[in-house]
Amino acid sequence: MLEKKFKTRLKIAKSKLKKDYMSENDKRSSFMGSAFKIGTDLVAAVGVGTIIGFILDSWFDTKPWLIIIFFFLGAAAGMLNVIKVAKQMQKEN
Amino acid sequence: MATNPMHQFTVHRVGPEINIAGIDLSFTNASLFMFISSFCVCALLFAGTRKREIVPSKIQLISEIFYNFIAKMISDTAGSKAKPYFPFIFSLFMFVLFCNMIGMLPYSFTVTSHIIVTLLLAIFIFIAVTIIGFMKHGFGYLKLFVPSGVPALLLPLITVIEIISYLSRPVSLSVRLFANMMAGHTMLKVFGGFVISLGLLGGWLPLSFSVALTGLEILVAFLQAYVFAILTCIYLNDALNLHH
Repeated sequence: MLEKKFKTRLKIAKSKLKKDYMSENDKRSSFMGSAFKIGTDLVAAVGVGTIIGFILDSWFDTKPWLIIIFFFLGAAAGMLNVIKVAKQMQKEN
Repeated sequence: MATNPMHQFTVHRVGPEINIAGIDLSFTNASLFMFISSFCVCALLFAGTRKREIVPSKIQLISEIFYNFIAKMISDTAGSKAKPYFPFIFSLFMFVLFCNMIGMLPYSFTVTSHIIVTLLLAIFIFIAVTIIGFMKHGFGYLKLFVPSGVPALLLPLITVIEIISYLSRPVSLSVRLFANMMAGHTMLKVFGGFVISLGLLGGWLPLSFSVALTGLEILVAFLQAYVFAILTCIYLNDALNLHH
């Protein structure tokens, strides 16, 4: 009885292992995850950069200048985020 | 009122009003659905681990699949050093997944479609990961902001950009989950409103769209929970294995 149960369990584990090697579905969902990540990472960094610029501007009373500079730095940070994700995806393939 | 697509996101009080020191601490429908999600997660896992047979029953199989899924994800993305953080990432994934999935049921409330919930989760992860990084590497963790092989002239600029990129993590993490859930549910409601306003004659086209979108939304609900958990793993990996 126990042996039979163990064999069934072994069969489940083996089929799982087989699935791991050719999980096309798994790969696709991970690519979709990366796509979602890239989209928001690009935008979020611009937003964060602008907010930092706004806060520093009201600290130092340099009204329009830091917000402009940090907007562009934020855009650069967004691109850096995308480059990092792309590099990681390239390494995985 | 019923056709307003944003009406589904209103938070209202359930039960008596609780007011402590001028702060409204009433039990809302958001808190109710958070409780329901946590309860469902606990119930599934308790039921799944109660018997512990060699040949798993259906419910045990489901909890084993979840366990294996997260364990594999952590070992793939963050390595063996991240093993102690398994309980946290597992509960995070299960909570977000069940909030998203329970939100797909009619008449329910999607907790994760509110940015305050997702932002709080993301900020908690961000602070925890930063503390772990400093605990493991001391001030060497700051090397994360100074990439190697950059000319000295560009270094201040690159450092500022790296810091902005680091600070944008919680924002991107929370906005992604919140925006996807809110946009999806609004879209479903808008198409549902089309079905009502076009009536029996023309309502079939938006209805079929609605059915297709529901399938897509279930995929998105799973995928966003997955992305949330895997990004936590990636950030944890940065904090544990500093390589620059």
